Amino acid sequence: MEREHLKLVIVGHVDHGKSTLIGRLFYDTDSLPREKLEEVRQICEALGRELEFAFVMDHLEEERSQGITIDTAQTFFKTAKRDYVIIDAPGHREFTKNMITGASQAEAAILIVDVSEGVQEQTRRHAYILSMLGLKQVIVVLNKMDLVGYSEEVFEKVRGHTLDFLKRIGINPTYVIPISAREGDNVASRSERMPWYTGPTILEALDTFKKTERRDGGPLRFAVQDVYNIEGKRIIVGRVEAGTLRRGDEIVILPTGERTRVKSIEEFMREGVEEAPPGKSTGITLEDKLFVDRGQILCRLEEETPKMVSEVKGSIFWMSSEPLQVGESVIFKCSTQEAPCRVEAIERRIDSSTLEVIEESSSRLENREVGEVTLSFASPVIVEDFNVTPELGRFVIEKEGNISGGGIITRLEG
Amino acid sequence: MITVIAIDALEYTLVEEFNMRNLKQDYYGRTDISEFSEPRTMVLWSSFMTGENREAEILAKGDKEMWNTRIPHEETFFSHFKNPFVLDLPGYNYDLEQHRRERELLKEFFEEKDEERKREVRRKYNENAFAHHRRVKERFFEALEGDYDFVLGYFSVADVIGHLNFGNRSLMKMIYRDLDDIVSRVEGKKIVLSDHGMKAVGAFGDHSDYGFWSTNFRDLGRPRITDFKRIVLQEALGE
Ligand SMILES: Nc1nc2c(ncn2[C@@H]2O[C@H](COP(=O)(O)OP(=O)(O)OP(=O)(O)O)[C@@H](O)[C@H]2O)c(=O)[nH]1
Ligand SMILES: [Zn+2]
Repeated sequence: MEREHLKLVIVGHVDHGKSTLIGRLFYDTDSLPREKLEEVRQICEALGRELEFAFVMDHLEEERSQGITIDTAQTFFKTAKRDYVIIDAPGHREFTKNMITGASQAEAAILIVDVSEGVQEQTRRHAYILSMLGLKQVIVVLNKMDLVGYSEEVFEKVRGHTLDFLKRIGINPTYVIPISAREGDNVASRSERMPWYTGPTILEALDTFKKTERRDGGPLRFAVQDVYNIEGKRIIVGRVEAGTLRRGDEIVILPTGERTRVKSIEEFMREGVEEAPPGKSTGITLEDKLFVDRGQILCRLEEETPKMVSEVKGSIFWMSSEPLQVGESVIFKCSTQEAPCRVEAIERRIDSSTLEVIEESSSRLENREVGEVTLSFASPVIVEDFNVTPELGRFVIEKEGNISGGGIITRLEG
Repeated sequence: MITVIAIDALEYTLVEEFNMRNLKQDYYGRTDISEFSEPRTMVLWSSFMTGENREAEILAKGDKEMWNTRIPHEETFFSHFKNPFVLDLPGYNYDLEQHRRERELLKEFFEEKDEERKREVRRKYNENAFAHHRRVKERFFEALEGDYDFVLGYFSVADVIGHLNFGNRSLMKMIYRDLDDIVSRVEGKKIVLSDHGMKAVGAFGDHSDYGFWSTNFRDLGRPRITDFKRIVLQEALGE
């Protein structure tokens, strides 16, 4: 049987120890390729320093970016219970563009805070994103306990401040764990240097979390990416955003509303495929020759289908030095849909670091601000409330050719 | 008290790309070395320490003899300090034997035709450079504890390793991380300075034609390497 895997995101202020923690998690669970570890160990030795996990992670990342193939298993770390997949952390390179798509796929989050520095600007921003995305399974780790002599007093103080802040944005972490990522305390094994701490280690804490991803239940949403004609067959390629697609399913195509059946599921070198689980990219053929195109969504006939709307309200996290302005036209991207939209209104501009409401109603949204925004479309889009179907409820905004913000849909109108 | 961390061949674009915060400090940029016909290590450091363009004089010595340059203490701005400590700087007091060995191995590497033996030479070359780097680091940190009114540490590792391994980004990044770490451990006013940068030539590295500077006290704009005499003396002694 396939092992269960849980998607995890690790966020926190720069230098608070994300890379080190990731390296430590891989190392302590024996999930690092040995020869790579050995290479890095030798270089560290040559440089006259101890092996550092940040170096190991750099090394793996560097090779990956150069296209030197890395076994996919290496992006997993394993516990006795399941595998964990680390989703590229937002803020790794100061707000990566895929923040919304990345973090919104996560089922659990670790927020890392350097105990000697406490909550900092990016701690706040990242926490805000977690809160916006409604992540409930959150572990706060107070890192670098070695720098404060493993002091319970310091831990309690910073823990208090951190929880106060998180409470303000509606995050109630399941665990707060004192760790030293570098020394390995309370990551995979219990620290003898903090006998006063009786809670779980990070791995134990993670293992108590539940998979939130619907395994196969929920209504089907198949987003069309492309249509190919191969050897006389018309193959529709797309991604199962939600639900499970089965051969023989009676489906309806949105927005045209036409109906047909799934004739076959086409996978490379595989015959007679019966179903495609959520998250799977695959090809299908249909019983009837209907008009199908990129951006369309296929749903199951007997299930509730998403609405087609010409106006949505959403929370947008803006990440560009070019502000978003009321009245302007930008590109809205959701799943495989791409549609021009007009910014109708910006309500409640919030500074994502101080959480201060800058303005109740505004004409613009500046870099690193969050706003409640109303967008309108000339022709309807197929979207859903983020809390109902996250895959069709998150979007990014492209302005002048650049992904400049991301957000979630909170209300559908029209 | 001011500390100069002199790093041979520290490349501006790599510092940016790897986002090395300590190397960048608060203000950073490229130096202008366009007055020199070529980015030569010995020419650049000699000009740095004297505050004068010494290219003609150094080149006149010829390719071999150039490396033995020893500029007298009185001609350098170090002489303005009461008790300066300068560590291993080319053209002043660097370890000639170390450098001779590096050039010898480099020559051997390029003359060797057998791939297997070539790798072995490279291994020796790298190990030789790293061993030197470890010694220099140790002495540098000792010096920071000492009673000096000026400390300059010269680090050749990025240049020496870069020449034969610039295509190995992962290795270069680890070296930059190490240099970044060194800078982070220096307290007080500091300047990071390179003579020139480095650009890829296949898997190897060649000098690029600008240097790198950074400070934790003010923006220097686009300085020339000869400006640093004035900058250091001004910051340290108010001269
Ligand atoms: N003393 C101590 N230092 C640590 C610990 N964890 C990380 N560090 C150090 O903190 C520094 C930053 O750690 P990284 O893991 O690179 O931090 P990061 O959050 O990934 O930083 P970016 O990737 O730049 O955002 C490094 O010098 C680490 O060695 C710890 O538990 N104790
Ligand atoms: Zn040089």
